[in-house]
Amino acid sequence: MSERQIELEVLRYRPEMDDKPFFQTYSVPCQEEWVVLDALNYVKDEMDRTLSYRWSCHMFVCGSCGMAINGEPKLACKAFLRDYQTKIRIEPLSNFPIERDLVIVQDDFIEKLESVKPYIIPKQEKPIDQGEYLQTPAQLKAYKQYSMCINCLLCYSACPQYALEEKFIGPAALALAHRYNMDSRDVGRSAREHVVASHDGIWACSFVGACSQVCPKDVDPAGAIQQVKFTSAVDYLTSFLPGGKR
Amino acid sequence: MARSAKAVPWFLFAAGGTVIAFILPVMIFITGIAPAIGLFGDALSYETMHAFVGNWLIKLILLGIIVLAAWHAAHRLRVCAHDFGIRADGAVSIVVYGLAAIASAATVVALLMI
Amino acid sequence: MSRKPYHREVSKTTWFLKQSRYQHYMLHEISSVFVAIYVGVLIVGLFRLAQGPEAWSGWLAAVTSPIGVIFHILVFIFSIIHTTSWFKAVPQAMRIQRGEEIVPGNLIIGAHYGVWAVVSVVVLLVAGVA
Ligand code: SF4
Repeated sequence: MSERQIELEVLRYRPEMDDKPFFQTYSVPCQEEWVVLDALNYVKDEMDRTLSYRWSCHMFVCGSCGMAINGEPKLACKAFLRDYQTKIRIEPLSNFPIERDLVIVQDDFIEKLESVKPYIIPKQEKPIDQGEYLQTPAQLKAYKQYSMCINCLLCYSACPQYALEEKFIGPAALALAHRYNMDSRDVGRSAREHVVASHDGIWACSFVGACSQVCPKDVDPAGAIQQVKFTSAVDYLTSFLPGGKR
Repeated sequence: MARSAKAVPWFLFAAGGTVIAFILPVMIFITGIAPAIGLFGDALSYETMHAFVGNWLIKLILLGIIVLAAWHAAHRLRVCAHDFGIRADGAVSIVVYGLAAIASAATVVALLMI
Repeated sequence: MSRKPYHREVSKTTWFLKQSRYQHYMLHEISSVFVAIYVGVLIVGLFRLAQGPEAWSGWLAAVTSPIGVIFHILVFIFSIIHTTSWFKAVPQAMRIQRGEEIVPGNLIIGAHYGVWAVVSVVVLLVAGVA
């Protein structure tokens, strides 16, 4: 197996001693088949134990290792070194405050995620001994794509409207709202509507589409949001008709 | 949080965007490019055009296209203003939607005059 | 331990210069400027048509003047940018499910291009060009 020397330029920020972030370069002996996360792990294990970053599964499932690699939001476990030149620039995901080094502050997203009630709201709760809520494969297909989200936040980092309007609920949370709205077992659409169809919800999206381009799970949040715009617009207009829901 | 009234102009934006995606290129070609290269001969002469636009069906179609195009452009201009850093969304809305309303009314008047 | 998160600023006026995908987005957003002006030109044309042969030929002269031609070429280019970017986005905004299958996006886009071609030819025929 061949080895390659890679220059990792990593944005560092140590809140207890730094006023602002700075780049630190590590020259890392890398194996051909490594991903960026492997190189970071090598730095952590062999060169500099003070470097902080999040990771867990190493296989695009946990959504922890999102970072900007050469300016592009990526999962570090999915960014193969063979696709990069010798110099790789690594920064924490943009559009989020930096907690430390490559670790970002996620609180804002977590709050927004909670605000869209991302769980099934059934018509009637039933006790477990009455069995599961049944669903056909076609009903599953209707929302499955939007359920693949791993909360990695690459989409927020790619979204210029989130960068410009910090109140924007944002791609993943809105896509997850859509995921539950589309679920045949769920009746929570109107309970989510007041957040989802508000000024800071879907209507703050101008369909740049960057979220869907960077999503590692092909969730297509941009598409989800446009679909919600359509149903919400119909809801809104029909709410003025006799018998419409206000 | 309240539901946003942006739903209404968005509907016009989406409908207009779809209609003009199909129709505008060929219309621009006919009204703006073909005459310059003399492609049509008499098709754009006063008599032909007056008779053509005089047809009530053509009037209705033109009205639909122009009104939807105006509202589509107005809503997108509002978004554009935001994207260029203008944060006075209320004032921008009044201007762009106001212009679209004037354009719609003017189209009706012009068509009735023909 | 006290926290001290570091906030990075984003320019509200030049953010779109940073990435080519943002630039593409701005390009199709800006098409609205040209569509708006073109709508104005059309409305003026309708008024001129109502006012009689002389007014109409004045409008035609303006349209075929060098500035008129340059403007219309620009509008034409932006209208194509609008059409292509709009069609590209349709499968995202309009997902069609048949049973357990989602209709492939390229099929939807292809259908749109087909209809676009038919509409264009029909309009040309009606206008008496072809
Ligand atoms: S929608 Fe995609 S990019 Fe956004 S958090 Fe979910 S998996 Fe990540």
